[in-house]
Amino acid sequence: MSEINIVEKKEIPQGATMLFGFPDVGLVGVIAASHLIEELNLAEVAYMDSTLLPPLIVLHDGLPHSTIRIFGNHNILLTVSETPVVADAIYPVIDALINWGKGKKVKMMVSLSGMPIQDRQDAKELKVFAAASSPEMLKMVQDKGIEALMEGYMVGPQAIMLMRCAQMGLPATTLLAQCFLNYPDPEAAAEVLKSLAKVTGIKVDIAKLLEKGEEIRLKARDVMKRTQEEMSKMKKTQEYDIPMYVS
Amino acid sequence: MAIKKRRTIMDIFDDYFEDFEREFERRREMLLERPSWNQKNSTIEPLRNMIVTPTEVIVTVDLPLTEEKAVQVKPLDENTLEISAKMKRKMTFREMGMTHQEGEFQKFHFHSRVPVPVQMDEMKIRFKKGILELHLPRRRGRRKPKT
Repeated sequence: MSEINIVEKKEIPQGATMLFGFPDVGLVGVIAASHLIEELNLAEVAYMDSTLLPPLIVLHDGLPHSTIRIFGNHNILLTVSETPVVADAIYPVIDALINWGKGKKVKMMVSLSGMPIQDRQDAKELKVFAAASSPEMLKMVQDKGIEALMEGYMVGPQAIMLMRCAQMGLPATTLLAQCFLNYPDPEAAAEVLKSLAKVTGIKVDIAKLLEKGEEIRLKARDVMKRTQEEMSKMKKTQEYDIPMYVS
Repeated sequence: MAIKKRRTIMDIFDDYFEDFEREFERRREMLLERPSWNQKNSTIEPLRNMIVTPTEVIVTVDLPLTEEKAVQVKPLDENTLEISAKMKRKMTFREMGMTHQEGEFQKFHFHSRVPVPVQMDEMKIRFKKGILELHLPRRRGRRKPKT
């Protein structure tokens, strides 16, 4: 048996846009993904089954679900993880998802995430940066008005997603909204969704997200705490480091 | 040219013990895994973070659904803080997505131990966007012997 299986529950469309929302800084990706699922009424179309994941399930309406699920409609496939992916499992999990998406001929992969900034509570507006898998993709996101993250380090699932897509020649981008490092940040999630709309045309109303922001922060406490522990193990604060390029 | 003060053997010992205490505290927190809420007292523990710099200790606390006037910061001794904050409204476990728990809570509450000597009476407090920020200047000189 393969270590990772992606079990399809419904027919999967070809040529969709594949999105990723994993627990990371400010839980930006997960909060944005949850909002997309709610606003677009996305249904669970597939899930990940793997012995590499912790012995943990999520119960919804009394029924068991995998912590890593794929929601979708005719043109979106959204992968979301409800718990942080342990550092040791990031490579195989991301590889499996990318290979699966490649098999479904997705037209683009976009991961939604955050970029921690100091004095976040003093920031008047939150910028969104992008990194891409190829010069063409980078130009495309820049042409949509998103600033490129030209130099620096990235740590976590979105980093591996981008690297693998670059190696495989798949069009991909990571959108990173400035956010809190250790606290859930619905405002940053709203900003990343605005940029997602520019890049992919997938638009949702963010008013409800901002309105419920404080409640989301409260509800997301425990996931954020677990995510902090995993981020600490994978040395997430390296993203603050000043890079030293050899050439 | 800046003149760097030479470190004494006691400074090195102090730094070593401070590092040790910080690591001990981190591991103690990990070992004491428990729910982040207390049903009996109807309280919930907020997310918080502590940064130790050479000059100060910065504690931040995420306190959504609270207002500045409802936040209380109380030093319990020379290195322990008690922080509590009443929320604007009650939240039930059901609203939080936990249908198998009865009850509600309306208050954040926790104790935090500062791992290095600080001047509690010089603490500066700021509250913005639901984030409480405490700045505690580090105490210079020898640490007080424990009695």
